[in-house]
Amino acid sequence: MTENSLSFDDLRKKAIELTKKKIKESVSKDLMIINAINNVEELEKSINVLTGRLREWYALTNPELVNKISDNEKFVEIVLKDDASESVMGAPLDSDDEKAVKAQAVSIHALIQTKTFLLLYLEATMDVVCKNVLTLSGSTIGAKLIREAGSLKRLAYLQSSTVQLLGAEKALFRHIKTGARSPKYGHIVNHPLITGAKKDDRGKVARALADKISIAARVDYFKGEFIGEELLKELQSKFGNK
Amino acid sequence: MEQINKTRIFEKRFGKKKSYFTKSLYPNYRGFSERIERFKGEEYREVMPERSKLVAAIAKGLSQTGIREGSSVLYLGASHGYTPSFVSDIVGESGCVFSLDFAPRVVRDLVFVCESRKNMLPLLDDAFHPENYKDLVFDVDVVYQDIAQRNQLEIFLKNCDAFLKHGGFGLLALKARSVDVSRKPGDIFNEVEKELAKKMIIVDKRKLDPFEKDHIFFVVKKK
Repeated sequence: MTENSLSFDDLRKKAIELTKKKIKESVSKDLMIINAINNVEELEKSINVLTGRLREWYALTNPELVNKISDNEKFVEIVLKDDASESVMGAPLDSDDEKAVKAQAVSIHALIQTKTFLLLYLEATMDVVCKNVLTLSGSTIGAKLIREAGSLKRLAYLQSSTVQLLGAEKALFRHIKTGARSPKYGHIVNHPLITGAKKDDRGKVARALADKISIAARVDYFKGEFIGEELLKELQSKFGNK
Repeated sequence: MEQINKTRIFEKRFGKKKSYFTKSLYPNYRGFSERIERFKGEEYREVMPERSKLVAAIAKGLSQTGIREGSSVLYLGASHGYTPSFVSDIVGESGCVFSLDFAPRVVRDLVFVCESRKNMLPLLDDAFHPENYKDLVFDVDVVYQDIAQRNQLEIFLKNCDAFLKHGGFGLLALKARSVDVSRKPGDIFNEVEKELAKKMIIVDKRKLDPFEKDHIFFVVKKK
């Protein structure tokens, strides 16, 4: 151990320093995008759960409203503004009870605002880092693809067939292992072009869309010009009008 | 509390269940919220075989690891530093552990482990390119590898060539599903064993189920 000129302690100090520097350098805009989308997804989950609880509680005083408004964000706003219509089935609340319900609504409203802000931030960041991917796939789908690939660089290096199935790993490995039917799409399933397509056409559209996203990611990573609009138009003229 | 052969890993029975421990090199260090046991005035940290493939192999009956007090170990695929921290317990103050991983996220945790244990050294590098970190590693007694990559055998042999002393031990935790998801794990194990036997002497091998699915643990000695 002592045959080297450097002692282990010196080596260790050097390595720790070097590693810390490397970790610092590894932080990139891609990681910001990935963290933003992760947080957005977590917020969405929390908002759903908490609004479900709030609905349960508010239904004691106004079941008609809870039944009528299915949109969570709208519902929270109405509870906050206090402009709900009269209720026959509901019992009136004490002012203490009402305060408690309102407090819950306020915190959910704050979460919704945070989510909206994060989505705007995500779009702004992606507009700088990967404008073509953003134009083609939209911010949430694009961010999820980057997360699944690991970074924009790795997304750019993937085959488009892989891009098509990012987010469908479970189904893909089930297919490889057991010979079940192969998945047709992963995260891109929520893209308007695919949701708007006929059921038989969806696989076809997914393949074409993944192609274009792949091209877009490559152009973005190697700092090319803006071609997202053209790529999107090409797809729309092919599959857009039914 | 009893030592298992001469591995410096200890076992203690709690009813039917066995638990595994290493003698703590830095008392009061508890980096992974592990259970602490006191025995004859010494402190012991518990290692879970579910989290550490080295201990999983021991639990499956492995009798010799080649890691002794004073050994120098090159640990590839250190991750958050769970197993490396126990290896650092085993080798003691006179030994050292070079722990390497490729992902910045986990090395971030690893650095904190290394800072509080004076015989550990962190490296953020790709194990496939030993030439990148050869300046920070000297020849070692043991190479331990736990990397879930398709070419994990190639990486292992490369590093053994570069850093392992003659007569030194190589420990390889092989994940069949990383080599090929669609093939039978047993076939892959046989194939890897054949390849491995060309360059090394195989001392022992253990399948790691039920702790890890489709894993096998090789202990080899350099010719």
